[in-house]
Amino acid sequence: MPQIGSYALLLALALSGYSFVAGLIALLHDGSERLGETARRAGIATFAAVVLAAVVLVTAAFSDDFSIAYIFHHSNRDLPAPYKFATLWSGQEGSLLFWSLLLASYGLVLRLRHKTDSRLFAHASVIIAAVQVFFLLLLNFAAHPFAIMQGSLPSDGNGLNPLLQYPEMVIHPPMLYLGYVGFTVPFAFALGALIMRYPGEKWIHITRRWTMVTWGFLTCGVFLGAHWAYSVLGWGGYWGWDPVENASLMPWLTGTAFLHSVMMQEKRGMLKVWNMWLIFATFLLSIFGTFLTRSGVVSSVHAFAQSSIGDWFVAFLALTFVVCLVSFIKNRSHLSSEHKLESLVSRESSFLFNNLLLLVACFTVLWGTLFPVLSEWVQGTKVTVGAPFFNRVNVPVALLLLLLTAVGPLLAWRKTSLESLKRNFLWPAIGSLATVVLLIALGLRPWKDSSYLYSLMTIALSVLVALTVISEFIRGGRVISRHTRQNLFASMVHLAHRNTRRYGGYIVHFGVIVIMIGFAGAAFNQDKEQEMGYGDRMALGGYTLVCRSYTQEYKPNYASEWAIIDVFKGGRQIDTLYPERRFYNASQQTSTIVANRSTFKEDLYLVYEGLNQETGRPIIKVHLNPLVMWIWVGVWIMICGTVIALIPNAVPVRVPAPVRVQAAPVGAGD
Amino acid sequence: MILFICALFTVAVLFYVFYMPGELLIAPEKTRVAYLRERKDVVYENLRDLNFEYKAGKLPEVDYQSMKASLEEEAASVLAEISRLERITASSPPAERKGMRV
Repeated sequence: MPQIGSYALLLALALSGYSFVAGLIALLHDGSERLGETARRAGIATFAAVVLAAVVLVTAAFSDDFSIAYIFHHSNRDLPAPYKFATLWSGQEGSLLFWSLLLASYGLVLRLRHKTDSRLFAHASVIIAAVQVFFLLLLNFAAHPFAIMQGSLPSDGNGLNPLLQYPEMVIHPPMLYLGYVGFTVPFAFALGALIMRYPGEKWIHITRRWTMVTWGFLTCGVFLGAHWAYSVLGWGGYWGWDPVENASLMPWLTGTAFLHSVMMQEKRGMLKVWNMWLIFATFLLSIFGTFLTRSGVVSSVHAFAQSSIGDWFVAFLALTFVVCLVSFIKNRSHLSSEHKLESLVSRESSFLFNNLLLLVACFTVLWGTLFPVLSEWVQGTKVTVGAPFFNRVNVPVALLLLLLTAVGPLLAWRKTSLESLKRNFLWPAIGSLATVVLLIALGLRPWKDSSYLYSLMTIALSVLVALTVISEFIRGGRVISRHTRQNLFASMVHLAHRNTRRYGGYIVHFGVIVIMIGFAGAAFNQDKEQEMGYGDRMALGGYTLVCRSYTQEYKPNYASEWAIIDVFKGGRQIDTLYPERRFYNASQQTSTIVANRSTFKEDLYLVYEGLNQETGRPIIKVHLNPLVMWIWVGVWIMICGTVIALIPNAVPVRVPAPVRVQAAPVGAGD
Repeated sequence: MILFICALFTVAVLFYVFYMPGELLIAPEKTRVAYLRERKDVVYENLRDLNFEYKAGKLPEVDYQSMKASLEEEAASVLAEISRLERITASSPPAERKGMRV
């Protein structure tokens, strides 16, 4: 079996190499349609070869073929079936194969849809083939997933890292990778359009749609990772500014910036250079994220695979940057702006500020992530920056972004009179101020601590955004209602169908504010740790916890020990929680499984920390985390909004008014 | 067995990549008219959005009229260019038209 996998990888490399070279020659020479077609087909065949390699690896995991070193290191006989499947992306070599598989899948979709615009798609196909060649070179020569074990065959494997043995780990990496890998597609279209000096508008629509799909996957991946960290790591938080978390956040930030600024290019022919570089940066940051996760250059709780493939990634990043730069310098005249910024109070300026803020956030995250590496180079000692550094910059940036999210939709293209801004902004602003008064009346004291102040501002600005989004729906719904005589709600649904992108986008904004309210709750987190024997009690924030007993269970894959804790509130028992510790036999490692009672108001989060070494008594840590559930609900709303934004408009574009025909040629975007 | 599977897979892949009997069906390359039509759709969509925002009360009359005039002007230019190119195509002899990309 491993021989078939190895051969499939070699064949995939040959096919993608052919797809790249033949595709390039066909693009350079007119009349090479047959050669171009073979290049396209070779790209499709690459998919088949990579699928074969992946199937071989998964089959090896299910058949406990420990002659393959990768299977020996990342699986064991008693590993449950879903985690055996997840072995594919649990280690270095497998995850690179998974990268390659997803890229081949995206490439397959793109190559099958080549008739949409054959020349643009041919350019994009060649660029994707080039990226594929890099990953297949890695797989064949630096991180081979089918390397054979030396010496006598082991009877069992080392097992999967216990931290990865959690249901979300079966879907979190695929989502994240769909996001990372997916950014190759908009990158390929953007670079292809630049190289061929694409004369129309189509490429920007294609790039935007692919970016939105990819961004949606990355959003899911990032938040699934946060949820996994919250449920498994047992420190009571969901985001620790860990380098690998940061690696996923950076392309998300630049991708978000692009999804906003691309509207300026579509509507006003502005920011073409900026958008091109945003897409380049997003792709480079995706590769950089994979490099951070895989190279071991930074230490992280998430970096499950470390090796010396860093040099390969550095070379690839440098080469890609040079290709982007040369293509840009050669074709920059194609990207000249058609209009200029006319007013600071306009939709254009709000997008511009939004982009600047997102890039400030991205740069801060990049700087903080690389600071340990840079400080070691310069000073010889590794200086790590923690959450306070990231929060000091990113919390104010997030608040400003919330403000722009509220104001932006109320602004018109080109310019907005202060009069109309005042008229549209008045009621949302009053609602937001009323929220501030209400929260202070309820006991929030922003002057006591900066985290309380930020929390208050976050909630007030979130209310402001919510009210502007609602007012946008109502205002638009009324226009539809006047014409169709439908009721307001039906009109708002009709409105969303007419312009899915805009109103889907507003729903995404609504999801963002729900998440932000969840984040704001962190200012009021409480925790307590205590040794708890049978019948011992612990009180926190209105809850009383009583330890009923401890129990143990032995399963083939692990031995577990858990506490049985009764939860009382107001003198009445409301729940029983079971915080757990597991000891995995194959890897000889321990992990915690958190017990969490989650409500919209707060999470009661229990961790069984093990035995006190001195007293021999079990330690229970309890966290009371307000509003955390809002984060997960907000993510679902964001996903719904993204899906709606991707649905084509229900009503076709119609000419709103007759136009005067004049005999004047137009550049049509060129 | 392993050798047979690898050989079979390779033959199947090579057959798929290189076997193209008969004339190749290739999508025609886009013409300048096609690009202009795309541009026209974008301008029309912008006009539709502008009308909607005006009706929703987000724009004062003066701004609306000036923006509408500018977009209409652009639409008119694009339409004029499309009809000019279509006239050229229609007036050229069929043999010449076949090799022409406008």
